[in-house]
Amino acid sequence: MVLYIIGLGLFDHKDITLRGLEAVKSSNRVYLENYTSILHCPHEQLEEAYGKSIELATRTDVESESDKILEGADVEDVSFLVVGDPVCATTHTDLMIRAREKGIKTRVIHNASVMGAAGSSGLHLYNFGSTVSIPFFTSGWKPQSFLDKLEFNRRGDMHTLCLLDIKVREPDFEAMTKGKTVYLPPRYMTVNQAVEQIIEVLPTRESEYKIKEGTLCVGMARLGHDDQCIKAGTLEELRGEDFGGQLHCFIVCAEEVHELEVEAVEEFFVEGSVWKKK
Amino acid sequence: MNDIMAVHGTVNFTVDQMRAIMDLKHNIRSMSVIAHVDHGKTTLTDSLVQKAGIISSKAAGGARYTDTRADEAERGITIKSTGISMFFDYAMKASEVGTFTDAEKQEMTDQMAAAQEADKNVKITENSYLINLIDSPGHVDFSSEVTAALRVTDGALVVVDTIDGVCVQTETVLRQAISERVKPVLMVNKVDRALLELKLPAEELYQAFCRSIESVNVIVATYNDEALGDVQVDPRKGTVAFGSGLHQWAFTLKKFAETYGAKFGVPTEKMMDKLWGDWYYDPAGKKWTSANKSGNLERAFCQFIATPLTTMFEAIMNEKHGKVNKMLKAVGVELKTEEKELTGKALLKRVMQKWLPAGDAVLEMIVLHLPSPVKAQGYRVDTLYEGPLDDATATAIRTCDTSDGAPLCMYISKMVPTSDKGRFYAFGRVFSGKIATGQKVRIMGPNYVPGKKTDIWIKNIQRTVIMMGKYTEQVADVPAGNTCALVGVDQYLLKSGTICTAEDAHTIKTMKFSVSPVVRCAVEPKNSADLPKLVEGMKRLAKSDPMVLCYTEESGEHIIAASGELHLEICLQDLQKDFMGTEVKVSDPVVSFRETVTEKSATTLLSKSPNKHNRLFVEAEPLSNELTLAIDDGEISPQADQKLQGRKMADEYGWDVSEARKIWAFGPDGTGPNLFVDTTKGVNYLLEIKESVVGGFAWGCQNGPLCEEQMRGCRFNLMDVVLHADAIHRGMGQIMPTARRVCFASLMTSGPGLLEPVYLVNISVPQDAMGNVYGVLTKRRGHVFTEEQKPGTPQMTLLAYLPVMESFGFTADLRSNTGGKAFPQCSFDHWEPMSGNACEEGCKANETVLAVRKRKGLAAEIPPLDRYLDKL
Repeated sequence: MVLYIIGLGLFDHKDITLRGLEAVKSSNRVYLENYTSILHCPHEQLEEAYGKSIELATRTDVESESDKILEGADVEDVSFLVVGDPVCATTHTDLMIRAREKGIKTRVIHNASVMGAAGSSGLHLYNFGSTVSIPFFTSGWKPQSFLDKLEFNRRGDMHTLCLLDIKVREPDFEAMTKGKTVYLPPRYMTVNQAVEQIIEVLPTRESEYKIKEGTLCVGMARLGHDDQCIKAGTLEELRGEDFGGQLHCFIVCAEEVHELEVEAVEEFFVEGSVWKKK
Repeated sequence: MNDIMAVHGTVNFTVDQMRAIMDLKHNIRSMSVIAHVDHGKTTLTDSLVQKAGIISSKAAGGARYTDTRADEAERGITIKSTGISMFFDYAMKASEVGTFTDAEKQEMTDQMAAAQEADKNVKITENSYLINLIDSPGHVDFSSEVTAALRVTDGALVVVDTIDGVCVQTETVLRQAISERVKPVLMVNKVDRALLELKLPAEELYQAFCRSIESVNVIVATYNDEALGDVQVDPRKGTVAFGSGLHQWAFTLKKFAETYGAKFGVPTEKMMDKLWGDWYYDPAGKKWTSANKSGNLERAFCQFIATPLTTMFEAIMNEKHGKVNKMLKAVGVELKTEEKELTGKALLKRVMQKWLPAGDAVLEMIVLHLPSPVKAQGYRVDTLYEGPLDDATATAIRTCDTSDGAPLCMYISKMVPTSDKGRFYAFGRVFSGKIATGQKVRIMGPNYVPGKKTDIWIKNIQRTVIMMGKYTEQVADVPAGNTCALVGVDQYLLKSGTICTAEDAHTIKTMKFSVSPVVRCAVEPKNSADLPKLVEGMKRLAKSDPMVLCYTEESGEHIIAASGELHLEICLQDLQKDFMGTEVKVSDPVVSFRETVTEKSATTLLSKSPNKHNRLFVEAEPLSNELTLAIDDGEISPQADQKLQGRKMADEYGWDVSEARKIWAFGPDGTGPNLFVDTTKGVNYLLEIKESVVGGFAWGCQNGPLCEEQMRGCRFNLMDVVLHADAIHRGMGQIMPTARRVCFASLMTSGPGLLEPVYLVNISVPQDAMGNVYGVLTKRRGHVFTEEQKPGTPQMTLLAYLPVMESFGFTADLRSNTGGKAFPQCSFDHWEPMSGNACEEGCKANETVLAVRKRKGLAAEIPPLDRYLDKL
């Protein structure tokens, strides 16, 4: 019948759309993808609210063993729940292609995504360039390609939305080479960690469009939640700001910020910010 | 005064003396005794131990003082290397003092004064020497013990049997010595056999000596290291001694040159020149000549040295008392009344001991021709230290700095079991500074990387002891240039490691062994309740031996891997007797194999990451045998400068220079004989996935797809990649498994093959029993490729190849088939391809792969290709 790929929105069980809820209720099996983002409520609460038992789908289930999810979706309805929107920040294109290969119809039911919610910073979504992710650096792996993109955006006077790394059920690679699977405790990058990492590699950047001392940045946490937190200031000013619990994201503004944007962002300035519009 | 005399009987020195002399770094000689098995190292060592007064001269020659284990005594072979520190007086004559700079002389005088000041009871003079000696095993299975011994010493006494000459293991250990920059001197041993059994006339004796010396020098020249200087051994320089360890006598040319020099009025050095090579004394003209025109003259060596020896032997053995007495008077040997009663070999031994004491000759060579730690560390530091050669620790090592505040650097080369079951002394060499009881130090394992926090412990040293064969003595501290042992460090280090004080100190280089653990077996406790004992016992066993590997397979089997059958036997015995106290069931020995490719991939192989956003395209091809060996030997290594090495690989191994400069990794362990090469062009962000790709490659090399054995001789070329634009979607979790899969897919489609280890067997056998040797070998897929007769004997030396797989019980089989006349010595030689494509049924390679899978408890079939290969 149909594989519903349903966005759950940003906060908790209550964010699902009416259409989404109907699809879930009509489904024989329901899966929740919970490794690219997290909801603010335990999955039991979802089960209670939707009146369905929900199976958690890990990265392995979705990436390597998707056949199990797809199995029977041609004769019965199956729902695959995704935090945020299914085709925005996280894309489940591969799952859709596999379904198509098996002749299974898919239907996407949209919802709010961080990519839209970023607009609550006051910055205009029209002025954003490519979105980037900032990965956790390790001692030997400090990829800087996100800064290349960021500088590319700034060159065209565009803001950059930076999604921050989430490590859920990340295998221990040392153990992996010994043939064992051990999962590391989950980690969520904070705005502060992202800022630290940028500051760490900034001296090696040579582009004239690189982040400058006075560049305006906006840190955001728990977008769409009751206690969402947004703070603006220079990179250095955000370094020590407390944003509270996960999930965090981060915007690096273009040098050229529209008057109206400035007026909207002002509300979020950290105390005593030295940022000035040129 | 702390006098060990009370404990061990008559000893010529005290612990205080010993500790005091440890400060005189110019008067220290650290040396190993190395040789082929049964050439007489341990027996010769006794002569020095006897001279030091630790054993009586009567027992010397049969005591085997440094064989400290019961099984060593039983088998009459050395199994573990044993350290002993000894104190000697050797009066250097003016002509021997050599070239010390004024500064060095001043330093020596100062240290001497300080040492004498420190303890008035101790008699230390400029003639006092401390010899740190390590007796090592000669059997090839225990080569790792030799490596560990060489690492902590600066000189090597190479012992060669006059009759057997230079043998396989002589070459191996000598090569190791030179690669460690350890300077050799030579002892031509068992001359008594040449005289008593073979009754060689003087000239033939000279020729036998020459052969041994030349063979040694050929090896020295082959592996020559310029930094070490000229280390060719030469009797004229005094770097060769001749004698008999068993009978406790030996001489260098110097001994005779002094006597005759005085008679002829020729300086000792000139005399030494005349006593070797083509020099003749013409009594008619009373002059020296190098041309034996008439053919009547006897070579000077024969006339003045060999003939008197043979005459003495003959006179004593034939009981010509008158002649003996006359000769004894001539050489200045006086026998005590009771000694005059002796006859035959006993008399011979006593006379020779008195005439040409072995201890004196060996001591002379050691003191005069082996370097002090100060000299040796000056040129050894480059090959020892991992870090920059101008940092504080390297500088202190170079000068053997023992001054206050000098950074400490000590290398732990092995663990020696203590009487306290389960605990070990960490034995090693102090290279700089002083190590003291209670000192706070950085204990660094072999995997420590400066700046990181893994494999390092900061602890206090519990106790510092010096080792003297069977005994240990506690001291407060030990300065650089000496060997000693530490208590308590065994908790942190597995087998070896570095102990330093400087925070930026790097480790001392890990030892490279010439053998590898190719023979394995699985063990389980006889009584299943003893499993915890087994696990603990295996841990202890792993610690006690530099080479043995103990691990648990996925199937739950406990595996012990050793370098040969004898080594395995000893390990199992130690495990049960010393480390567990209960018995184990031992499986049939099993052999390691290697997985490889035999041809270039016909197509490019593709694997996709789990999220399907990243694709790796790889092709495999075999590395040439020469290159694989060069990587084994470290000639081509990941540490080398990529530019220079690229050139070398192009010139010597036919590589494309630009590809050779883009080798991403060696594997497994970052050093192994498989390469991953980046041959892509202009891919964005490629370097951001390098670490993950290398991780997957390393993992794959360690356990190949066929039967989870290591890979060998495989080259993987990264042809192209497709990457997700965002770094998060191409992290370690996505790329690493993909890199491993694509390597597997390429291996399986490029003529997958299996390599088996093959022994080089050196068999010494009398001619009449040779046929049976051939018979036994053929039955075991072995074949002889050279046979050679030992000059002047009916003994044949056969060299043969024998698959390790077929070698179990070979020694016993051979002995029983030849009535005990054949002596084989097996050493790992090379990896040999087994016939057939390992993935296709009906060939030896495939059979073996399936057998290994079964033993390891893996799925019966080789995984299908589509598990690793993805479609476009």
